[in-house]
Amino acid sequence: MSALARGRRWVIPAPLASVAGLIGVIARRPVGLLGLIGVGSFVGLAFIGPLFVPLHNTVDIANVYRTPSFANPLGTDFQGRDVLNQIVYGGRDILSVAFLAAFFSTAVAVTFGSLAATVGGKVDTIVLAVADIVLTVPQLVVLIVVAAIFRPEGFFILALLLASLQWAGLLRQIRAQILSLKEREYIEAARSLDLGLFHIIFREMLPNMASYVAIHFIFAMTGAVYAQVGLIVLGLVPLSGANWGVMLYLAQSQGALYFSDSFWYILSPILAISLFQLSLVALATGLEDVFNPRLRAGS
Amino acid sequence: MATVIPAEEALTTRIMARERLGSLWRHPILRAVLKAALTILAATTITFVLIRLLPGNPIDLRIEELTRNGSITYEEAREQVATIYPIDLDKPIPEQYLTYLANVMRGDLGKSFLSSSVSVTSIILAVLPWTLFAVGTGLLLSFAVGIGLGLLAAYWRGSFFDQAVSTLGSIISSVPNYLVAILIVLIFGVQLQIIPITEMRGAYSAGIQPGFNLDFIGDVLFHASLPITVFFLTHIGHWILSMRNATLATLEEDYVVAARARGLRDSRITTAYVGRNAALPLVTQLAISIGFVVGGAVLVEQIFLYQGVGLRLLRAVAQRDYPVMQGILLLVTVSVVVANLAADLIYSKLDPRIGHAS
Amino acid sequence: MSLLSVRDLSIAYRSGRGPVQAVRGVSFDVEPGETVAIIGESGSGKTTLAVGLIRLSGRNAEVTRGTIVFARSDGPRDVLEMDAEELRRFRWGDAAMVFQSALNSFNPVIDVWSQFLDTARAHGLNDPKAVLKRSSELLELVHLDPERVLRAYPHELSGGMKQRVLIALSLLLGPRLLILDEPTTALDILTQRAIIDLLRDLRQKLGFAMLFISHDLSLAAELADRVLTMYAGRVVEEARVEDLFYRPRHPYSVGLLKAVPRVSGELGRLASIAGTPPDLVQLPSGCAYHPRCPFAIDRCQQEDPALVAVDTPGHTAACIRWQAVAEAVGTRRPAEALQ
Repeated sequence: MSALARGRRWVIPAPLASVAGLIGVIARRPVGLLGLIGVGSFVGLAFIGPLFVPLHNTVDIANVYRTPSFANPLGTDFQGRDVLNQIVYGGRDILSVAFLAAFFSTAVAVTFGSLAATVGGKVDTIVLAVADIVLTVPQLVVLIVVAAIFRPEGFFILALLLASLQWAGLLRQIRAQILSLKEREYIEAARSLDLGLFHIIFREMLPNMASYVAIHFIFAMTGAVYAQVGLIVLGLVPLSGANWGVMLYLAQSQGALYFSDSFWYILSPILAISLFQLSLVALATGLEDVFNPRLRAGS
Repeated sequence: MATVIPAEEALTTRIMARERLGSLWRHPILRAVLKAALTILAATTITFVLIRLLPGNPIDLRIEELTRNGSITYEEAREQVATIYPIDLDKPIPEQYLTYLANVMRGDLGKSFLSSSVSVTSIILAVLPWTLFAVGTGLLLSFAVGIGLGLLAAYWRGSFFDQAVSTLGSIISSVPNYLVAILIVLIFGVQLQIIPITEMRGAYSAGIQPGFNLDFIGDVLFHASLPITVFFLTHIGHWILSMRNATLATLEEDYVVAARARGLRDSRITTAYVGRNAALPLVTQLAISIGFVVGGAVLVEQIFLYQGVGLRLLRAVAQRDYPVMQGILLLVTVSVVVANLAADLIYSKLDPRIGHAS
Repeated sequence: MSLLSVRDLSIAYRSGRGPVQAVRGVSFDVEPGETVAIIGESGSGKTTLAVGLIRLSGRNAEVTRGTIVFARSDGPRDVLEMDAEELRRFRWGDAAMVFQSALNSFNPVIDVWSQFLDTARAHGLNDPKAVLKRSSELLELVHLDPERVLRAYPHELSGGMKQRVLIALSLLLGPRLLILDEPTTALDILTQRAIIDLLRDLRQKLGFAMLFISHDLSLAAELADRVLTMYAGRVVEEARVEDLFYRPRHPYSVGLLKAVPRVSGELGRLASIAGTPPDLVQLPSGCAYHPRCPFAIDRCQQEDPALVAVDTPGHTAACIRWQAVAEAVGTRRPAEALQ
């Protein structure tokens, strides 16, 4: 093994070397542990739940807006259907789109952020200028106007749309992080050994930023959930079926908001969305412990 | 006699011009203004692209719509659309762009699809101030209170107050603002019936004369209180945590210890030595938040039926009134840019280390 | 009577591994107008001691024993017994402490004049005109232009200028004791010379006592009347400055002197002290220096020696083998000893 590869061992913080190790560090703080459990539960609920629980689609007018009972732990909706059932099915689309959107925006942010930081000069100025412009424009307004004009169908397009405005904030921060890492000695060493741009970015810098990127990925997801549900509640996204956002849209458009019996029907998706967001934030806070002491110790 | 070689002279002039431009760029205030102008230019360009160039754009759609009925010819339809949008459809695209740009600079954003005598600009200017008022007040209040709470949390680090404030702050901040709005309506309005939500709809009650009298102002505040509360709650967590971290860092600074060594009173140290230094960088964050909040205000306005620019946008969407939609997009972006610029300028006044060409 | 009288002072930090005994039973006096230097490596406890004198040790520190008696105009007073308000007045009014780098001793967002005024106001001097007059006089004493400096913000001044301003500010209330922590470390060599000359000049004009902390022996040679060397939280030798330099009696002092290169040209052999500074949580048994000491015998591992008088007046050393050290050093320069 080359000296550099051997030397690189101590550069990657040990816990990041394995997923189990990573989970171990997160779980050390109660916040991180709660976040991990929360996110895990929601992912399980959204993706595994539907495998076991059939979708109840039968309309039962007699049972409209029932209060919670053993048969319907979260009550029923305006067509007598079980609310809990809809909550279980309602997360899948939202989580998928959020994950995709976060993935796209993080990928763009990491790629162009590190490019701008390492190459510098004109490239840096241009990338930064574009990011600044995108950052200034009010996101939800643009999304509403674009969605209203072009009516995005399908969640791949929706994810792309959300990602198209989200990458700017991440890019600036990743660029700043890389700019500070650039000064570290092992980068100088790699550069003097003429190891090439890609090697430097992908093999030397990014492993040290792994948890930093993970944290921003999580926040990108929260942003995507926010924008997504917002668009759905406004009726700008043609999704149907059981979906937390659609539940709220239906409540809104039917004026159920002001109807006191529909309380549980409306509260349930709100709780689901809020708890999911909270779990994400808690998980990100738990991850902060991983990157804070490590990066500081390395300086 | 020595004559200056023309090439050399040209080179010198070019170098001097670049120097002058470079020093322009380096001056922080001019640079901020330049960036603001560029952003507005970019937003205008994007809007133009959206309405004219992309497939399925509103202008083409409108022409199609009008001709589909068969009642008017293509030329007539084009003419009609041309009166509504400030674009001359006969000229080549680059010229259309420049005309559009010129019109926008003059404040002409076209006319509403629905009533072609009403200008988009007037529609928007009627509602924009309400949104800016609610958003601005909510943000400023959350900043002021959040900074205070964050400072205390840092000073009483580890105490119950600290933990409670930090945890509550981050929990409330994680919930999307429109959901907080719905919860307020749901719980306090419908279930508990404490808040008279139907009365609080709109920016002000019908029948009250707008003007600078106490009745009107009181009424406005009454109607704006719910949106302001939502903005306040959803942002205060961020200020609390940021200020807490900033204060903890500042307390470690040498000049704070040095100030204590000089026998300065704790009250003076907390305000002028710790507080100011910790809060200063947060001022720029305040400006950046304005952009986000204005965007998110759309849904909040809908839930409270508060007649700001967000609600108007939704009405335009429902009515497919594209000129109004784009006009709102452009004007809102401009407001955000101006707010950012103002914040940059204020910050450079507050921090003596900025703006010095050293 | 002494201006400052420290007796048996002990300060410890709380840490994850147990209490860190940074200062262990230190006693010394500073007479009015005298200059005392405390010399030691980093980790010797010298900064903790200095900061502890004005009770700014930080949240995790605790004074476990001892007294710090200062002779104020209204009589002697133990600093450790002062209440918050008394302590506030004591700081800067009676004893002014100047920290290591003036670079960050000023609030970056307030101009220099306001910081002078803040200081004056905190001590009851509310008349801006009087404060301005006094500040200008002091700034001129440190060879700075008051017009320019008072209007400026800290970042507009150079490092050397800031150090001078800080010194001027320290004299604002006419303190009788000036405590300086590494006053020249962060400065370039020309500025160091200027500051040293300035301190000497001011001391002569204004007559204050100085206590300065450093690892730099040459500073002691320039300015001090008496020198204390500290090791592992204890004072291990106390002497008049010439006695310390020419007739050291503790092996650590000898080691310090040997480690200083001589400008006179001979290359000689530079020797740093073998070994590493001790762990202040788990100190070595007996004399803390014995693991690194070339004079150590078995007894040194068992006994922790107190300061004893040695063969020159006003000179004490905490070493049971001081006579052996004296012989080794002889009357030659210490750097040549132990070859």
